Amino acid sequence: MRQKLLNALIGILIALLLGAFLLLLQGYDPLATYESLFRYSLFGYYPFATTLRNAVPLVLPGLSAAIAFASGVVNLGQPGQLVMGALFATVGGLYLDLPPALMIPVLALLAMLGGMLWAGIAALLRRFFDMSEFIVTLMLNMIADYFTAWAITAPFKDPAAFSPMTPQINPNGWLPKWGEFNTMILFMFAAVVLAWFIFNRWKAGYEWRITGQNALFARLGGCNINRNFVAVMLVTGALAGLAGGLVVMGGPHRFIRGLGANYAWDGVMIAIVANNGLIATFLYGLFFSAIQTGALGMELITNVPNEISQVLQALLVLVIVASREYLNTALEQLAARRRAREVRT
Amino acid sequence: MKILLGLINGMISGATPILLAALGGAYTYYAGVFNIAMEGMLLTGAFFAVLGSYYTGSWLVGVLLAVAGALLLSLIFILFAVVLKTDEFVTGIALNLFAVGATTYMLRKIFSVKGVFSNPAIQPIPSIRLPLIENIPLVGEILSGQNLMVWVAVIATILTYYLIFQTRFGLRLRAAGYNPARLDSSGVPSNRMRALSLLACGVLCGLGGAFLSLGYVNLFAENMSAGRGWISLAAIILVNGNALGIALISLLFGFSDGLGLLLQGYRVPAQFTAMVPYVATLIALYFYAARKRRLKNA
Repeated sequence: MRQKLLNALIGILIALLLGAFLLLLQGYDPLATYESLFRYSLFGYYPFATTLRNAVPLVLPGLSAAIAFASGVVNLGQPGQLVMGALFATVGGLYLDLPPALMIPVLALLAMLGGMLWAGIAALLRRFFDMSEFIVTLMLNMIADYFTAWAITAPFKDPAAFSPMTPQINPNGWLPKWGEFNTMILFMFAAVVLAWFIFNRWKAGYEWRITGQNALFARLGGCNINRNFVAVMLVTGALAGLAGGLVVMGGPHRFIRGLGANYAWDGVMIAIVANNGLIATFLYGLFFSAIQTGALGMELITNVPNEISQVLQALLVLVIVASREYLNTALEQLAARRRAREVRT
Repeated sequence: MKILLGLINGMISGATPILLAALGGAYTYYAGVFNIAMEGMLLTGAFFAVLGSYYTGSWLVGVLLAVAGALLLSLIFILFAVVLKTDEFVTGIALNLFAVGATTYMLRKIFSVKGVFSNPAIQPIPSIRLPLIENIPLVGEILSGQNLMVWVAVIATILTYYLIFQTRFGLRLRAAGYNPARLDSSGVPSNRMRALSLLACGVLCGLGGAFLSLGYVNLFAENMSAGRGWISLAAIILVNGNALGIALISLLFGFSDGLGLLLQGYRVPAQFTAMVPYVATLIALYFYAARKRRLKNA
């Protein structure tokens, strides 16, 4: 545990130093840039609330990717599942009229259903036709992108709007706010706890993990590999779909163009950086969200374009993962050498 | 007749960037590198092509800069995946996102625009007219007037096929993927072959990217590679890396691209016609999986 934390801190430090170097090259003041980056994301009531809220669409796809990868399922369809979830929640919000206490859970379930459906297609194609879910989910991402773009330009377009978007959903489906805290963060916390519990304490989660580590062993031990595969696809699809639904219900209250942004891919990166650990995914999700949130304030103060946050994120991913693997080998070498010396004496 | 001609020309220009990227990926496929960074390399190439062409007024500088930009990604890939032994999949995903972020950032920083940069000062890659041949009906009309990069792709296909299967370099390349320890013990570092394959991939993806922004269209748009790198990955997997097979599959995808454009004329919504290449990939994958299963059962 301590070594993991140390690895992460060293990686982050190196990445930030490299980022500072890039900023210096372009004539910006790296210290002032970083200072405003974190001041506008972590320090203060409003910045922190915004960071938490922005973390939701990063953490949920991140959990989805982490569970999938740790179970040996290459589900890279989070972007498609997210927008399909958002579309399902939006359509539900347009045509349903229930009291808020019922409306919000129903819309959240619809969002999960949308994500499950999209992941389910890939699961079935793999299950019955042996088509690798890796390429299938990637292609389904593009198809979902165009499908939702069509849905908001033709059948569900707001007639009053000039650019493609749906009308606002029924206000009963809007997620309430507590002060500056949007209640969508409650869904995130619940998802993290539930996912951790299922994955680490339940029999199903145990079977998934074992399958990810050694599929042959799991099968010989009596796990139904095929059923587990479909289950993991559906669960991870639901998580990504939920993210899309929450973005609609908590934010613009409608499906606008570019709603999915880069959320899901960022989530995949976060899962990778976290080495598929669920708690680590949550923490890195907060960290990445802080960078994205702070970037907007940083742009106002220092004139550094906020797109630098995307560059910084990719840098963080590469350096953290590389330094983790490099440090692990270095430490193992060190330990081996020490043992060799002990044997000699 | 006109429709057929349009379809064929659409097929060729749709196939070219996918073909170039997939050929690049073929080198890494044989060298045993799980390389999914073609998407990012295409995008980087497309950006630098516009950058060079706009500032110098020469498409050639644009193409060279595109290759240099994609090579830069290759070098980062080599640094992390080959030298530091970071997971190749992780490196690829991070590089793809890095490419999206970096090109968007530079678009904003250098051209001060968001989304799309188009300008009449961007010099496109010229088309090649073939005198005499252009007078032959149909065949001449197809062969003449194609973009220079189309011919580069044709040459690259033949060259790749020759290099990988007929030369010592190709043998070592395939050995690096097939049995790296054996190659190392015979005195050729397999890491060097992996690095070389990634450099080759960078060059070809740079050319493909240059065609995207200086041939296919004449502008740079955010994320304009639009999944072509992923499609090229699918193409490689479908034919197990064979260059001639890749050319055939790329033409198939190019055809679906052209078909999409044609369908738009029949009032099919543009979003659905744009899906055609991705659906075609899924269908191709179905047949690939079915054949593999048959072979396994036989």
